[in-house]
Amino acid sequence: MTLSTQLREIAAIPSGGANVAIALDHVEKHFEDQQGNPIPVIRDITLDIREHEFISIVGPSGCGKSTMFNIIANLLEPSAGSITLRGSHPIRGAHIGYMLQRDLLFPWRTILENVALGLEVVGVPRTRRLAMSREYLERYNLADFADAYPHTLSGGMRQRVALIRTLITDPDVILLDEPFSALDYQTRLVLEEEILSILKSFDKTVVLITHDIGEAIAMSDRVAVMTQRPTSVKRLYEVGLSRRLGSCLKARSDPRYQTLFDQIWADLDIQMGGQAS
Amino acid sequence: MSTASLYTRRIEVSAGGTKPRKHQDHSLWKENLWRLAIVAALIVAWQFAVNFGWVNAFLMGSPAGIAIEAWRQLQSGQLLSDTWTTLYATIVGFLLGSIGGSAAGLLLWYSRHVARIIDPFVVALNGLPKISLAPMIIIWFGSGMLSKVALAFIATFIVALLSAYQGTHQIDANLVNLMRSLGATKRQIFLKVVVPATLPWIISAFRLNIGFALIAEIGGEFIASDKGLGRSIFVAGNLFNLNAVWVGVLTLMLVAIALYLVVSRIERYLLPWESR
Repeated sequence: MTLSTQLREIAAIPSGGANVAIALDHVEKHFEDQQGNPIPVIRDITLDIREHEFISIVGPSGCGKSTMFNIIANLLEPSAGSITLRGSHPIRGAHIGYMLQRDLLFPWRTILENVALGLEVVGVPRTRRLAMSREYLERYNLADFADAYPHTLSGGMRQRVALIRTLITDPDVILLDEPFSALDYQTRLVLEEEILSILKSFDKTVVLITHDIGEAIAMSDRVAVMTQRPTSVKRLYEVGLSRRLGSCLKARSDPRYQTLFDQIWADLDIQMGGQAS
Repeated sequence: MSTASLYTRRIEVSAGGTKPRKHQDHSLWKENLWRLAIVAALIVAWQFAVNFGWVNAFLMGSPAGIAIEAWRQLQSGQLLSDTWTTLYATIVGFLLGSIGGSAAGLLLWYSRHVARIIDPFVVALNGLPKISLAPMIIIWFGSGMLSKVALAFIATFIVALLSAYQGTHQIDANLVNLMRSLGATKRQIFLKVVVPATLPWIISAFRLNIGFALIAEIGGEFIASDKGLGRSIFVAGNLFNLNAVWVGVLTLMLVAIALYLVVSRIERYLLPWESR
């Protein structure tokens, strides 16, 4: 906690240009197979994730997005290169909140206890953490489910709870890894909107990892398109449709949406062709 | 996870459907009526067969004889004292073995290294029919209750240990990673993820262990004992007193059912999220 406030103060000093939240500098990652031969997964990623932006990482399936996720989430060390949070090196000690395709709510805890998990781990006293969690649930209209167990909630509701559980701990950066892919299309559209508005109210830096081009364009300020494995950043798009238009649905019906979709689609297509040759 | 019994599973299935609640109660009542009818028919048929000489009462016993014998044993207090002796030794051995084994299995989560080293020993002990240890245990602990407790303990410990340890291996790594991302210590991960996630495995080991504890306890009584249902069955069998054998067997059945119900109750208390 104290470390992250310290970091925040350092970050407040203007460093010229847009503030960078996370900087990936020539990050590489390879794994080893049974014979000990290196299998490259990430060839070279250099990417600045700006403070308060919503950036999407789009890439073909199996391109190494999850490995990238794990490196940013601090679950894996890069084989080479560096990753820094607000200029501090290394990223360890930063608090990265994340949300996956599966909500990862603890089935043995009620919704309220699930939301309070992060506060419990850092030692916030019981009455305070439960009061805080209840307040958060109320703000997002989930108070009625506070004492229910997760299995009684729909997939979309569980994802909202998972996001609130992440936000209540006030993470430096929020990582979303295909958070909507287990949901049906309608729920997805509604949830995109809701998640975005929740995130906006917290003004967080968000990294969304997805293979859904439409979702990336509808939600993001920027989209980074990745190559096939071993992956690197193929192209960066400035989008910002939902931020300017105020909603994901409006972003989806904007003419620029289709243009971007075609361009990104083409980027991915070229790589498939490229790999085949 | 598996539910308390076939009986409650049935209720669950119909509760999941669209049937109204009244209908359920009705069908449950009907099912019980059928069960009662089957038991009654069996008793009547058995008694008739004995009365008409189709079945040898000396070799098979008879319902009337069993009832008389049960009444005699109740009056003399022998039945209650035998039941209490068996129940007590079984429960103490069962609890020590199941709780101790589960705790040991959980703690192995802390060290993969230790777990790997002791793995072959656990496997060897698990394969061994624990009742084969009875003569030795009786030499060490005597023919009284202590040796039966020890046997029930040994029979349940390894099962609980293996089940709990396997349970810790089935934990979703994402839950552990989530705890790490929140800055949790290993101890916090153990208490807040490993223990609750393994509880269903522990409970299912408890359920199996009722049977194992009873087998070990009764086996021990067969070999050397001064009291208990196992001894009563063994002695009555040697005297060809089949009615008394039946009294012992039927009482044991009631004991097993009672223990089973207790574990189901504990399960509902410990796993409220699993009872829908």
